[in-house]
Amino acid sequence: MAPRPCLLLPLLLALALALGPAAGKARRLLALEALGEAEELAEELWGAGLPGDLPELEPECRRLLAAFAEGSAALTGCLGRRARPVRLCQACHRHYRRLLAQYGSIARAVGNSSESHNCAKSILTSDRLQIVVTLSEFFNETWDAANCANCLKNDSEGLSDSTVEFLDLFNKSLTCFEHNLQGQTIYLSPNNYTEVCKNCNETYKMLNDLYNNLQRMNRQGGESGHSAHLCIDVEDAMNITRKLWSRTFNCSVPCSDTVPVIAVSSFILFLPIVFYLSSFLHSKQKKRILILPKRIQSNASLVNIQEKYS
Amino acid sequence: MANVAKKVSWSGRDRDDDDEDGRADETTPLLNGTGPGLAAGGRQLTSSSFLRIGQLSNVDLNEDVHELETELPRQYPNEIPHNEKLLSLKYESLDYDNSENQLFLEEERRINHTAFRTVEIKRWVICAMIGIFTGLIACFIDIVVENLAGLKYRVVKGNIDKFTEKGGLSFSLLLWATLNASVVMVGSMIVAFIEPVAAGSGIPQIKCYLNGVKIPHVVRLKTLVIKVCGVILSVVGGLAVGKEGPMIHSGAVIAAGISQGRSTSLKRDFKIFEYFRRDTEKRDFVSAGAAAGVSAAFGAPVGGVLFSLEEGASFWNQFLTWRIFFASMISTFTLNSVLSVYHGNAWDLSSPGLINFGRFDNEKMGYTIQEIPIFIFMGVVGGILGALFNALNYWLTMFRIRYIHRPCLQVVEAMLVAAVTATVGFVMIYCSRDCQPIHGSTVAYPLQLFCADGEYNSMATAFFNTPEKSVVNLFHDPPGSYNPMTLGMFTLMYFFLACWTYGLTVSAGVFIPSLLIGAAWGRLFGISLSYLTKGSIWADPGKYALMGAAAQLGGIVRMTLSLTVIMMEATGNVTYGFPIMLVLMTAKIVGDYFVEGLYDMHIQLQSVPFLHWEAPVTSHSLTAREVMSTPVTCLRRIERVGTVVDILSDTSSNHNGFPVVESNPDATQVAGLRGLILRSQLIVLLKHKVFVERANLSLVQRRLKLKDFRDAYPRFPPIQSIHVSQDERECMIDLSEFMNPSPYTVPQEASLPRVFKLFRALGLRHLVVVDNRNEVVGMVTRKDLARYRLGKEGLEELSLAQT
Repeated sequence: MAPRPCLLLPLLLALALALGPAAGKARRLLALEALGEAEELAEELWGAGLPGDLPELEPECRRLLAAFAEGSAALTGCLGRRARPVRLCQACHRHYRRLLAQYGSIARAVGNSSESHNCAKSILTSDRLQIVVTLSEFFNETWDAANCANCLKNDSEGLSDSTVEFLDLFNKSLTCFEHNLQGQTIYLSPNNYTEVCKNCNETYKMLNDLYNNLQRMNRQGGESGHSAHLCIDVEDAMNITRKLWSRTFNCSVPCSDTVPVIAVSSFILFLPIVFYLSSFLHSKQKKRILILPKRIQSNASLVNIQEKYS
Repeated sequence: MANVAKKVSWSGRDRDDDDEDGRADETTPLLNGTGPGLAAGGRQLTSSSFLRIGQLSNVDLNEDVHELETELPRQYPNEIPHNEKLLSLKYESLDYDNSENQLFLEEERRINHTAFRTVEIKRWVICAMIGIFTGLIACFIDIVVENLAGLKYRVVKGNIDKFTEKGGLSFSLLLWATLNASVVMVGSMIVAFIEPVAAGSGIPQIKCYLNGVKIPHVVRLKTLVIKVCGVILSVVGGLAVGKEGPMIHSGAVIAAGISQGRSTSLKRDFKIFEYFRRDTEKRDFVSAGAAAGVSAAFGAPVGGVLFSLEEGASFWNQFLTWRIFFASMISTFTLNSVLSVYHGNAWDLSSPGLINFGRFDNEKMGYTIQEIPIFIFMGVVGGILGALFNALNYWLTMFRIRYIHRPCLQVVEAMLVAAVTATVGFVMIYCSRDCQPIHGSTVAYPLQLFCADGEYNSMATAFFNTPEKSVVNLFHDPPGSYNPMTLGMFTLMYFFLACWTYGLTVSAGVFIPSLLIGAAWGRLFGISLSYLTKGSIWADPGKYALMGAAAQLGGIVRMTLSLTVIMMEATGNVTYGFPIMLVLMTAKIVGDYFVEGLYDMHIQLQSVPFLHWEAPVTSHSLTAREVMSTPVTCLRRIERVGTVVDILSDTSSNHNGFPVVESNPDATQVAGLRGLILRSQLIVLLKHKVFVERANLSLVQRRLKLKDFRDAYPRFPPIQSIHVSQDERECMIDLSEFMNPSPYTVPQEASLPRVFKLFRALGLRHLVVVDNRNEVVGMVTRKDLARYRLGKEGLEELSLAQT
C-alpha cells in the first residue's frame, strides 16, 4: 500500500509550499524521505536531541512521551514477571498509578506555544494508529479485568486492609503446609497427608471463611456498579490453596451417606405409585351423562358410515 | 324458598349465577306462585313433548313427525366414562353479534359524530391501561418469585453445605422435598378449592374465550388473584413449570376487567366505559390483554400481537391490530422500566420480558448455510419428542379426569409431584460427578456437594435453580460447562417431570419447561456434533441449545408464526428468524403427523365446543336440516308472562335464544319469523316487569333503556331469583321492541360448510333455519356445528354430555 515516492513527491511539495514558514524544513524532510533515509535520520536526530528538526512535537511534549514510554515498559515488565503465581495487583499497582498519572498529564498538557495544537493533540490524536491511546487502553482493560481496584484502597494507595489480612492468612497456611510436609516429598504417596490435614485444618478453614466473607461483602456492594469478582490475586491464591487442599492432599472428604439417601428417595418415589394405584382402585370413575339432542333423525350418521367406506 | 330469596341481587357476588344461568339444580325450588302441577307434570313427560308446551302448535313439523318417534327409546340415562368425543353442556356461546333492537338503534342514533370520537379515544386509553397493569402484574410476579425462590434455595443450600461435612444428607433431601410440597400444597389448594378455572396455563381457556365460548369464571378478578398467587407458589415450589403462560391469562383478565369499568366481584362500579359492556367489545379488549401478556412474558410485543392473531382472534381488523400493538408495547415498556428501577439501573431498560434469552450477537453465535439441514433435523427430533410429550400427557389427563376429580386428591397429587421433583433433582445432583470450576458468580446457587473446594456441581445449575435461569444458563454458559452425561440425564428426567406436571391443579405454564428440555437436548446435540467434527469452529453449543428449545416448544404447542416471532424477539437477533422458522415448521409438520398440539388436545379433553377455522373438509354432504336442532321453542311477539317464565325455568332445555314469531291466533295464517330474543333480555324484562297491562296502568313508568341491559351484564340473574306473582302470570309481554328484528337465517338446504362459515365469520350464537314460508324449522347453535370433527377415519360426530 505504500505510495510510490515519485507520485507522492509533487503533491507533498505543493502542500509544503502552502504551509508557508515551516515549508523549508518540511521540504528538506520530504526530500530526505524520498531518499529513503528518513528513519535513520529521525533516530539520529532523536539521539542527538536536536529539537528544531521535529516541528510537530515541542520539547515538553517529547519529555512527557518519553516518560510514558518508560512507565509502560516498567508496567509491562512487572505484569509479565508477576503472571504466575498471580501477584499483579500487589506488585504493579504503583507502576499502574504512575502510568495513569503520566497519561493524564499528556492528556491535560497544553503546549507552551501559542499555537492551537497542544501536546494532547499532537501525541494522542494526530495519526491513525494512536499508539499511546492504544497502550493506555490496554493497560486499563487489563487492570479492570484483573479487578485490582477491589483489593486496593479507595485512593489506590496500597492494598486494602481485608486483602492484607487475607494474604497474611494465605502465607500462614502455606507455611503450615510446608512445615507439615517436611520430611516427606510431595509425590511420596497420596494417602500420607493426614498430618497436614489435621494440623492445617484450622488455618485453612479460616482462610476459606475469610474468602467467602469477602465474596459475600463484595456481592452486596456489587449492586452499586462493581463487578462481582474479587481481585485476581486473592482469587488465584485461594484457588491454589483449594487445589492443594482437596486435590493434592485430598483433605476434604465429605461423608457420603448413600444408604439413607437411597432409602428416603425411594420412599418418596414410591408414594405416587401408591397414590395412583389407590385412586385407580378406590375412586369412583367419573361418568358422563349423555344428553340426547333433539334432531331430525335423518341419514346423517349413515352418511358418515358411507364416507368411511367409500 | 329461602334459596330464592337469597338470589335477588342484580350484580351481587353470586357464586353460581354465571353457569347456573338456566341450568338450575334439580333441587332448587321453582318459582313461588307458579303452578307446581305444571312444572312437575312437565318433568314427567318425555322431553320432546314437554318442549312443545310453550311453543306454538303450528310450527311446521308435518314431514318430520314420523322421524321423531325414534327419540323415544333413548329415555334411560346413558352413562359413559369421560372420553375425548364429547361436548359439554357447561359451555355457552358469547353474543358477539349485537342485538340490533329498537333500543340499540335509538341509542346509536343519539350518539353523534364527536361522541363516537370520544369512544375511540376511550378505547386507546383502555389499551394503555391494559398494558400498564399487565406489565405491573408481571413485575410483581417476577419480583416475588425471585425473592421467595432465592430464600428457598439459600435455605436448602445452607442445609446441604452443612450436612455435606457432617453427614446426614437425607435430611437435606427431606427438607427440600417438604419445602416444595408445602409451598405447592398452598398453591394447589387455592386453585382446587377456590377457582379451578385458574389451573394450568390458561392459554386453552383464553383460546376458547376468543373463539366465542363462554368459559365460566374465566375472566373474573378472583381468577386473576388466584392465578397470580398460584403461579408464584408453583414456581417457588420448584415444579417443572414456568410463569410465562399464565401471564397471557392474567393479561386477558385485566383487559376484561378494565374495559368494563367495574368489578362485580368487588361490587364496585366506576361508572366509566359503560359503552363497552357487551361481548363484542370485551372480546377485542381481551385479545389486547392476551397480547400484552405475551409481550410482558417474553419481551416480544410483535409476537404478542401475532399470538392474539394466530391463537385467539376469530375476528380481526386493522385498527384493532394497531391498538393491540400499542397495548403490547406499553406492557413490555412498563415491565422493562419497573424492573430496571428494581434492579438498580434505572435508565438501562435491559429487561424487556419475564424471561430474557440474553444476547445472541457475537460471531460464534452466527450460523452458516451448511448448518441449516442440521437445524431441520433438530426440528424433526423436536416434533417427535413433542408428539411423545403430548401423547403421554393425553393419557395422564384422561386418567386425571376420570379418577382424580376430587379437589383433595388433586391437591395430594400436586404435592406428590412437587416432592418427587425435589427428590429426582436431589438424586441427580447426588449421583453426578460432573464438577466445574466456579467462574465468578455466574451460578446463582453453586452447590459444592462432593466436588473439590472451589468447584460446583454442574447438575445443580440445571436442577437447583428456577427453570428460567436454567434455560438462560444452557444458552449462554461457555462450551464445556456441562458434560454430555449430565445433559442426557437431565433431559430424560425433566421430560417426564414436565409431562407429569402439566395438567396438575396448579396454575403454571408449559413454555419454560419445553424450552428447558429442548435447550438441554439441543446443547447435547451441539456437543456431540462438535465431537464428531473434531471441534469445528461453528459448533457452539449455545446456538444448538436455542434451536433445540425452539424445536421442542414447537413440537409441543404447535404454534408457528407467533412462536417464530416470539423467539426472534426474545433472542433479539433477526437473522435467527430463518432457522427458527424452519425448525418450527418441521416440528409442526412432524408432530401433527402423530398427535395434535397440547392446547388443542386439552380443549378437546375439556369437551369444549370449539370451532376451528373451517368446517371439516368432508362435510359438504350435510345440510342445515341435518345439523339443526328441532323442534324449536318459539315465543309469540306478544306472549303471556306465565309461558315465558315456564319456558325459562324449564331445566331440561336451557335454551338461550328464542325465535319470536307472529302472534296471530288465526291458524290459517303462517306464523313467520319476526325476530330473536335472548334469555338474558327476557330476564331483564321480567325483572323490570315490562308488561303490557302495567304500561297501560301507569304511564309514568320509566321506559326501559339499553343501560338496564348493560347493568345486568355479564352476570344475569337466574330465573329462579325473579318473583312473578300469579296475577302477573296472566299479563302479556310485548317483545317487539326488545327482540332483534333481523336475525340471521338460512334455508334448510344450506350445506354445513356454508352454515359454518356464516357462524364463524360473524361470531353468531344462534342461527335460525327457516323454510320457504319463513317459518321456523330449526335452530343451529355452536354445539350443533362443533360436534362434527375430522377424526382418523373421516368425519366423526361427538355426543353431548352433562359434565
